[in-house]
Amino acid sequence: MSEITLDGLAKRYGEELAVEDVSVTIDDGELLCLLGPSGSGKSTTLRMLAGLETPTDGEIRIDDEDVTDRPAYERTTATVFQDWALFPHKSVLENVAFGLKMQGVGKEERRERAREMLERVRMTDHADDDPMNLSGGQKQRVALARSLAVNPDVLLLDEPLSNLDKRLSEDMQIELREIHAELEETFVHVTHDQDEAFTLADRIGIMADGNLVQVGEPNEVYQNPKNRFIEGFLGDTNFVEGVVDRTSPDAVRVETELGREVVVPTSNPDALDAGDAVSLSLRPEALSIESADAGLEADEAGQPVRTDGSTTNSVVGTVESVLYRGSTVRYSVAVEGTSVFAERTVSDSGEFETGDEIRISWDGADVLAFRDDGSRVDL
Amino acid sequence: MSGTHSSLPAPIARVWEPLRERSRSKRALLLMAPLLVFELLLFVAPFLILLRISLTSGSQDLRYAAGTWSLEGYAEVLSSGVLQDAILYSFKLGLIATGITVSIAVFYAYAIWRAEGAIKSALLFSVILPLLTTLVVKTYAFRPLLSPTGTVNDLLLSLNLVSEPIQFVPGTIGVIVGQVYIVLPYAVLAIYSVLSTMDWGIVEAARDLGASRPRSVLEIVVPQAMPGIIVATVISFAWSVGAYAAPGLLASQRVPFAIEVEKRLLSNLQWEIATAYAVIMLLLMAASIGVLTVTLNRFGGEFEYA
Repeated sequence: MSEITLDGLAKRYGEELAVEDVSVTIDDGELLCLLGPSGSGKSTTLRMLAGLETPTDGEIRIDDEDVTDRPAYERTTATVFQDWALFPHKSVLENVAFGLKMQGVGKEERRERAREMLERVRMTDHADDDPMNLSGGQKQRVALARSLAVNPDVLLLDEPLSNLDKRLSEDMQIELREIHAELEETFVHVTHDQDEAFTLADRIGIMADGNLVQVGEPNEVYQNPKNRFIEGFLGDTNFVEGVVDRTSPDAVRVETELGREVVVPTSNPDALDAGDAVSLSLRPEALSIESADAGLEADEAGQPVRTDGSTTNSVVGTVESVLYRGSTVRYSVAVEGTSVFAERTVSDSGEFETGDEIRISWDGADVLAFRDDGSRVDL
Repeated sequence: MSGTHSSLPAPIARVWEPLRERSRSKRALLLMAPLLVFELLLFVAPFLILLRISLTSGSQDLRYAAGTWSLEGYAEVLSSGVLQDAILYSFKLGLIATGITVSIAVFYAYAIWRAEGAIKSALLFSVILPLLTTLVVKTYAFRPLLSPTGTVNDLLLSLNLVSEPIQFVPGTIGVIVGQVYIVLPYAVLAIYSVLSTMDWGIVEAARDLGASRPRSVLEIVVPQAMPGIIVATVISFAWSVGAYAAPGLLASQRVPFAIEVEKRLLSNLQWEIATAYAVIMLLLMAASIGVLTVTLNRFGGEFEYA
């Protein structure tokens, strides 16, 4: 139960910059996911929190106590490692009891408490096993129990699910959430898997190139990404490059590589000027597809108009490939010189085949725009 | 080792048993054949000859009376104070030298394991370097170093740490220093070879769970390195108890078993005694190495300090 403050945390290995500047306050009892691609500095940040790396710069405070220079064994953090790092020469029970042994808890008591922890992760049957004979999922549970047994103020999880298969990893995510809810402890979870972060996190911190780029609730970072990197990293999306043609008080018209103008409604027409280069993000979930000749006509301005009269952005293209991805089907569509993908649930009737002409349309309000330097345009 | 093969001499059984368990195919045996022949010709056969000689009676003008059967040799070993004293002295040397060697070797191997780049290479190279010099030269080098008029004493005297020179050589201290120097590289390499396969992550995990630096070494590194430590101990112990070069060059009046055997063989021409002495020593060695291994193995797993 602790509030953690990271203030200007940096780590350099010689010339190499692993973490440049990480500042964040993690609330008591919060589950924060540090999400980022490999090499973004998220694991190094976690190791600094654990006391396994010494920061080159900056400060770490746990409950307003400066712990920056304290070694790992004098911190009230416990880590679940990526490869679980179970002690191979100790039994499962001895592994779990190890932290208590270091705390000087008597043999009987620590064995009893270790047993309780094993029960919590449903591993009681394996108490006397050799940890090396366990499966990945079982090792993961033991590692979790071992870290929880010391009753840490902060539990640090360093991609502990990345070595598990998808199904098992998803089960463990739910279980982790339950354990977190039950213990009300502060968790910091590092992962490169967006789905995992969205499932687990109270808040997500997105890291890139050693910096914490954006911190926020899952919904917020997804709906409101701060820059192009985050938009691209959080989910598959179509980036369409273009140049602003003209702006009007309520809309920006962008000449795009789709071969036609895309209209983006705006309440902030001064955000962009004619001639600015922008990338537009068309998320697959915002795109709808239909046959090229389905119920659309062009109005006087050349904008397609639905039969019900609403205007919409749309382009026509040729299906290049159809990819079955379980519950969804992904269509890759060639439009002019570029390629756009859209998705449909399998149950939707009217499947298209390679070579079909289809119309892709979207609501302009769902489009996000980014400037040359990757920053988000506040539309 | 049990069953029909219990009658095989230990070295063959040692080679044969695991083979039998792992593979029943003849090919494995075929692959092992050169080693078996080697052991048979260079260990088993000579040992049987030695055993036979130890069961003959002594002779006034020959080395031993061939063709006779007698337990004279064994009786002499069991009643001679001089011979038993040499055995005690050998074991004392062995225990002290092994203790010192293995302690240094654990730290040294740990240092190599943790070092990186050029330092790691330098540390490794400095272990191997002494192996490139002949044993006699490097052992003999301790005489000018450690003698009463030697470098170390000059240093101690000039620093006023002692008022008169100490006779390290010839003497027991000199023998131990020389012996440790001989076996240390093998002990370091044996332990390092095990440590190098170990995952540093589990040491970090121990520290993360509250183990201080020394505690994490004691709880994690030492038990993990135990197979290497056992090998290092057995090498050091067997070599030091049977040491010949270091005592030969650095000892004073008290001599260990190997020097005593040499005297009986070459000067006194009492082969029945020398061989009986060797057989008894072999049994004692086998027993003590067994005890050492079993004891150390217990420390390979969970163990208590308090």
